[in-house]
Amino acid sequence: MKVSDLKELLIRSLDKESDPEDACRKIEEAGITYNFRYGFRDKVLDKIYSAGTTVIREVEFVRNLNSVFYRIALTGAAAIVVLLISIYLIQGSLSLNSFLGLGDSYDESILCLLTGN
Amino acid sequence: MIKESYRQKEDSELVKSSLEGDKQAFGEIVDRYQKMVARTVKSMLGDTVFSEDIGQEVFIKLFYSLSEFRGEAKLSTYIQKIAVNLTLNEIKRRKRFFSMFSQKGNSEMYEFEVADHDTEEKKEASEVVSKALMSMDPKFRIVVTMRMLQGYSTKETAEMLNIPLGTVLSRLSRAQEQLKAILKKL
Repeated sequence: MKVSDLKELLIRSLDKESDPEDACRKIEEAGITYNFRYGFRDKVLDKIYSAGTTVIREVEFVRNLNSVFYRIALTGAAAIVVLLISIYLIQGSLSLNSFLGLGDSYDESILCLLTGN
Repeated sequence: MIKESYRQKEDSELVKSSLEGDKQAFGEIVDRYQKMVARTVKSMLGDTVFSEDIGQEVFIKLFYSLSEFRGEAKLSTYIQKIAVNLTLNEIKRRKRFFSMFSQKGNSEMYEFEVADHDTEEKKEASEVVSKALMSMDPKFRIVVTMRMLQGYSTKETAEMLNIPLGTVLSRLSRAQEQLKAILKKL
């Protein structure tokens, strides 16, 4: 097929009315083919089945990490909520002092506590 | 002889055997669908060694997600979706990389390495298509690849790319305009 004909075919293949399968077949006949290099199958199988391939382990690790992450994140969020509620119930507020467990202590009394004077 | 017996098996049988640890069965899946994956990956990323790596990654990802394959869709659709996702991710990664380290335009992001063809005419045709595709915006290129090289209908393309049908239609129309302009220059 001449390049000019091919160009025409490529443009026509994107027409709404064109049959995509037919256009695809004609384009392939014109020599537009894509293949992986020789030995592609063996490379894939080696990577999957040979022991000690770091790539596969990384993929597996990331997948496991992803699935575990959501559980950890949910548990963490629930723990934070419980902690906030308990602080509020015990201290009566959610101020910074309540978070730090300082209650109504003043700076002087903390210094006394720390230094013993 | 053994290879021949696998060729006659249905996809679902091959998936089942692969899950049971049958290496040959998964090898048959690779054989059966590598050309389809090559069309997506190489037309989107160019015919380079990196495309080979992405192609391998598609099948590795497929292998590790075979247990999640319910058989509701065709295996080819499932593989194609993996190929599309990995390819688009790679394009995003390259774009990020080049925007950080290079002032050059997108056209320099790709290398051309047209595979051997039996005739000069076919080689020239292949070069024209590769250059035209690589000059297109990736969001148009993927739609063109699905339609022109994979032969998917507009509806199938929309499902594959997870975008509305109307978006596919408008992208096809704009891609056609872009392609006309590009091919005029080649």
